[in-house]
Amino acid sequence: MSASSTTLGAYASHERGRWYRTTVLLRMIWAAIFIFCLNVVTPLGSPLWLLVGSACVGIAAASRLARSQLNWRGALLILTFLWLLNWGFFEIASRFLRDAISHSFTLDGLQLQVNAALLALSFTASITWVFWRFKAAITLEAIVLASLAIIIFAGHRDYHFDRPKIINSLAWQLRVDHLTMLLTVGSGLLLASITCIFLASLAERPRVDSRPIARSSKGANWILGVCLTCVLGSILYGVQYALYQHFNSAMLARVSNGVGMNSESGVSPLSFESALGSTNQPAALVRLEGDYASNPFTPMMYLRESSLSSFNGHEMVFSGRAYDTDLPGINPQESFTGKEDAELVQRTPLVQSIYLLADHQNAFGVDYPLSIVQLKNPKPNRFKNTYRVYSSAPGFSLTDLNDLAVGDPRWTEEVQQHYLTPHSDKRYSDLAIKVTENARTPIEKMFAITNFLSRTAIYTLTPNHDVKREEDQVAPFLFGDHRGYCVHFAHAIVYMARALGIPSRIGTGYLTDLSQSKDGHILLLMSDRHAWAEVYVAQYGWIPFDVQPDQVESHADNKVDPKLLEDLMGMLDPGEEILPPDIAKDEAGMTDEPKDWVPKQSLVLSSVGVLVALIILCKVFLVFGWKVFSSPRRKLRWAYLSAASAFDDVGIGRRFGETRSDFAARVPNQALVPLTKLLLQATYSPVSGKNLSPVFSSTDVTAAISKANTVIKAMPWWKRLLGALNPSSVFKLLGGGKW
Amino acid sequence: MVTKSSFHFSRYLVLGVAAFALTCARYDAHAQETDGNSLPNEKTPNGTVYDPLDPFDYLGSDELFAGDDKDKSAEQLIREGEDLLQTERLLDGRTKLLKALQKDPEQVDAYTMLAGYYMVHVGHFRLAMKYIKQAEALFLKQHGNPPYSTRKLQQDHSRIIYFISQGRLNLDNYQGSLDALDEFTSNGYYAEWYPGSRAWVLMKLGRLQEAIRVARLGILTEAEPGRTLNMLGILLSMNEQRQEAIEVFRKAIAYEMAQGSEGQPATPLNNVGEVFREMFEDDKAESQFLRATGLKDGCEHVLPTLNVVLLYIEQLKLDAAASAIDGFQQCMAQFPLRNGEEYSALVSLARGRIDLHSGHIDRAIRRFEAALEGTQWFGKIGTNQDDLIAAATLSLGQALARKNSLLESYRPLSWGEWYRIKEEKLSNSFRSWWLLRRARQVLIDNLNDLEDINIRNTDSLLEYPTLGEALSGFSRSAVLRRIEKQRSEDSRPPAQIFYSQYLAESSLGWWDRSEGTTLLDSVIQRARSKYDELLKVQASIYRMKLLDSSSDRYHELAYRVLIANPAALRNHGLKLPVSLDASAASKALRSTLLSGPFEESSNKRAECSVRAASDTDGKHRLVFSCRSVASKNRSAEDNDPNAVVNKLADSIFEEEISNGGNS
Repeated sequence: MSASSTTLGAYASHERGRWYRTTVLLRMIWAAIFIFCLNVVTPLGSPLWLLVGSACVGIAAASRLARSQLNWRGALLILTFLWLLNWGFFEIASRFLRDAISHSFTLDGLQLQVNAALLALSFTASITWVFWRFKAAITLEAIVLASLAIIIFAGHRDYHFDRPKIINSLAWQLRVDHLTMLLTVGSGLLLASITCIFLASLAERPRVDSRPIARSSKGANWILGVCLTCVLGSILYGVQYALYQHFNSAMLARVSNGVGMNSESGVSPLSFESALGSTNQPAALVRLEGDYASNPFTPMMYLRESSLSSFNGHEMVFSGRAYDTDLPGINPQESFTGKEDAELVQRTPLVQSIYLLADHQNAFGVDYPLSIVQLKNPKPNRFKNTYRVYSSAPGFSLTDLNDLAVGDPRWTEEVQQHYLTPHSDKRYSDLAIKVTENARTPIEKMFAITNFLSRTAIYTLTPNHDVKREEDQVAPFLFGDHRGYCVHFAHAIVYMARALGIPSRIGTGYLTDLSQSKDGHILLLMSDRHAWAEVYVAQYGWIPFDVQPDQVESHADNKVDPKLLEDLMGMLDPGEEILPPDIAKDEAGMTDEPKDWVPKQSLVLSSVGVLVALIILCKVFLVFGWKVFSSPRRKLRWAYLSAASAFDDVGIGRRFGETRSDFAARVPNQALVPLTKLLLQATYSPVSGKNLSPVFSSTDVTAAISKANTVIKAMPWWKRLLGALNPSSVFKLLGGGKW
Repeated sequence: MVTKSSFHFSRYLVLGVAAFALTCARYDAHAQETDGNSLPNEKTPNGTVYDPLDPFDYLGSDELFAGDDKDKSAEQLIREGEDLLQTERLLDGRTKLLKALQKDPEQVDAYTMLAGYYMVHVGHFRLAMKYIKQAEALFLKQHGNPPYSTRKLQQDHSRIIYFISQGRLNLDNYQGSLDALDEFTSNGYYAEWYPGSRAWVLMKLGRLQEAIRVARLGILTEAEPGRTLNMLGILLSMNEQRQEAIEVFRKAIAYEMAQGSEGQPATPLNNVGEVFREMFEDDKAESQFLRATGLKDGCEHVLPTLNVVLLYIEQLKLDAAASAIDGFQQCMAQFPLRNGEEYSALVSLARGRIDLHSGHIDRAIRRFEAALEGTQWFGKIGTNQDDLIAAATLSLGQALARKNSLLESYRPLSWGEWYRIKEEKLSNSFRSWWLLRRARQVLIDNLNDLEDINIRNTDSLLEYPTLGEALSGFSRSAVLRRIEKQRSEDSRPPAQIFYSQYLAESSLGWWDRSEGTTLLDSVIQRARSKYDELLKVQASIYRMKLLDSSSDRYHELAYRVLIANPAALRNHGLKLPVSLDASAASKALRSTLLSGPFEESSNKRAECSVRAASDTDGKHRLVFSCRSVASKNRSAEDNDPNAVVNKLADSIFEEEISNGGNS
């Protein structure tokens, strides 16, 4: 074997070894991330350092053993031996040490922890062994990981943008919407997976027969790499953008339990297809400034945002400002002063401060607002907008209404007709007459209708009716399978009420359960969004008539997180403003341990900043570092490194297996030849040695590098810029690479 | 060990806080008048934006609702706030007090009252602590350090210290709470609540004997007799002096009853019930719990109901257990604004167990998951989050294992369903293994070397008859040692049967069949009829697993279990021996029937029979009947032989129980 082939073999082996180490390190990082995420999903009950450490040991050991002559039987035997050792140790220990230990289960507790560590070790070691030994393993791993990611992130297909839970936590912490968070995490995972697979594919695969793997003799083309990365990034961004656009429109239509955000005249914001998008995303925080003991709907409370009173032939739509004048119809950034309706009786004043946590098109409040004023936002980075509503809220009992007339005598004939416009389908009136045959007054009839629907309807988020958008969406529900949600119920009630000559409309907004409130603070969730039927009762105004279905097939998640509510309360309690911020800082138990650890934005940014600064520093050192050395030998080495790395960054790198002399000859204008000659002289000169004088001086080195720099400076500016931005030389330097 | 009954004691403390705050506030009617010194409102130049932290600005539309508050002094607003709090107009009262602070941020009384409001009515202890610390800071700034010369100042200061002590107690800072009580006495203050509070904090710190001495001293000085007697009773029961504890509780009940409508007899009634339960006097315990739940002050708290439900589950009176929870929830419906976090997790746990034993496993799984996810406010209850986590995790793990057993005998109706079942079984097995492992970990790590193994420990939420399933996962020597230790400390005869059951399950878990068989036979023989029914069923089930299904003993046990708890057979994957009359049935129906939860037996030995018939039009009918138990007769029909077997199995092995209106 010749000397040059030995050098080449050693170099190749070194290169492969470096990728091998990188791959092992990457697998360890992946294992740590996986264990961390698993612990977020379900508490593992063991210290994370123990599990991560065991996993890393498993990966390192399996990687090492996979390079040896050990076959799979031997590897299995080692694992079995470990488990037997574990079992045997604890069996013996429990027999002989039981009297020495005060607690009966100390050893069992220890064994549980050791088992967990051993499990992590066995798992990671097994898959790592397979990874190194079988070429197909990486494909298999990629498939398993992709499947896992699809299962975990599949919620978006049903418009659950807040799943898994970590997406919700991250979105809340970083104050972005769930969709953005989902796409960001998804893209991050995809990029990380591609990087991992790419790097793993470069690594040496040990074989039992020690046959080397054929590899291309060409070195990496960094320019091509950068370009490909840019292309990949652009494609990813494009895909992400398209996905965002696609799901964003769907999300806005569905995220609100069928109650759309927009109110456009002649258009229905309601969705009949599905309410699957109802998430438990916080929508707003309402703070009641006084008691509302006379709430007729206790423990529920309706907060009206808008109403739909026009019938367009197949559904109820927003009627514009001509009707429904009791509603302010303003966006949350505006103020409003209305006129109190002196005709209405048994009303009670109610002040609510509303802190929006999600974007809203319309201001909402309890019943009809007399005034809406803007509030100073106490936490602009948390609340989108804040306002206070002064409502004249109902203060009567629903049973008081039984004998009252419906409609407002002050209405013109046109207004009266507007609220009475019936559905053309006769089946609605037939059913209404049948359902209300025993009812005497209009209000009794309304109760008969709601009771009928409560008994027969099945609440489901996915009614799945096969009906076109421009057709009647309610008929398949009411005259079909009775499966639907609030939008179907509200429409059905209004159609039947109008068929009986009862003026009615659909109210939209929120329905919340006051029993989940705390100190008058109510956390409204997206899943609290609701649509309900309303009837105008003389002297009492618009009164909700709602359905409470006995049969529930599926319902939205509307459980309030009390800790979140408490946190938000702390942001807006007037007392918190009056109290000094550090008043109880020395008291124990004043803060919670964070349940899901999410890195703070500042931490992420500063880490990235430090990394970038480190890269810049290294780069600066690569370019100018040679100047700081006084010893000609060191100066020469660093000067060569500086020049070679500069060429490497602009795409003229030393190829795999190429000698330095060949490389120097290939560089334009032979700019690297003087430096290479000096380097070879210094390496192979018989006078080289620690205490011997070199055969060249510092001036020779300076002259040689000047030639190289002149060539680089002569290159086009964009090439030099790309070279300056290319961090590969830094990675090569840190990775111990050779130029 | 801390008792769950202490929750009721905590109510005394809470009420004490409220009463103390109001008494002191009345005393403060002579508070010095100060000039209003309101904070400036923040407004934008056009005057349309208001400060949200200032709900009391009087400009613009606020005048609609502001009333005459703008002309009132801070002191006047405090008095009105106090009145509103007394009349349960809590939000109005809170707003008045905040208005008072807006006018004069130096008003110590307003801070103190707000601290009381957040501590008693809202349960927001951190905010309460901030208010009381601010009150303390202002008080010291205005009046300097103690001692104080006037009685009013002394009383104000003592009230602040009391609130600090209570606040720290609620934040689980027991040593801090005791330090505050020490400060209270070092200043020469005394109040009736002091002995009870001190005894309680000492108990929390594990200084039981000292706590008993303090409580006895409190009784001698007649300091809040009802509360202190109750406290002493709890301490004595914790100290294993159960007869003495019962006597003390009886005095407490008599005292509370004598208070008329002001009294709180449900608390000592529940506590004495817990002591009777510990003594295995189940009838007496049940009657005390029922008396407690029937009282005005008892129906609205979950513990008497939970205690009676746990008792009924052990007796397998599942209907009665479900009714008890229904009653509690109906009672809670009177308080629509009561936040469910006080009881929802406990209710989910109890309902889940009822569902599990009545065969509604899917519903049970959902309940246990809800119990684990739900937040439980424990406040000053002796039990803690770990008790609930251990109990709910264990029950969920058991429910998932039961679900897999059930699926073994379920006949899939399509290939798609067959695949889903396989998938579900795999997932259930993994989850069940993991949850039982987690439960064991919590039991030994967080619950002090399985202190809850003391049968009917009132602090615990574990289901004792089935606890052996978790224990069998530990090493046999550790279980043996722990039970030996427990037996040396616990001489109650009925408790010994439970320990035998645990040892039996542990033996079987370590493949010692002969030891396990002997112990199981002894449990079946010795377990108390009527009271330890669940334990008896558990032992029978494990015994049946060791028997050949054609044996007489298997038959005998199977019918006993069928009568006591029909769901248990299918939940554990055991087959019910029946004589089969399938002469009129198709071949498909016959084979399907025997691959379901039934085993063919001879007419002579089989207590129950299944008559199968198939029509020419493809309809299959099954009729199940038992010779001695007519109430078990069931029938089912369907076109699909698999569906008809499933329907019949559901009708036999599921019990109709109230599910509380939702799942």
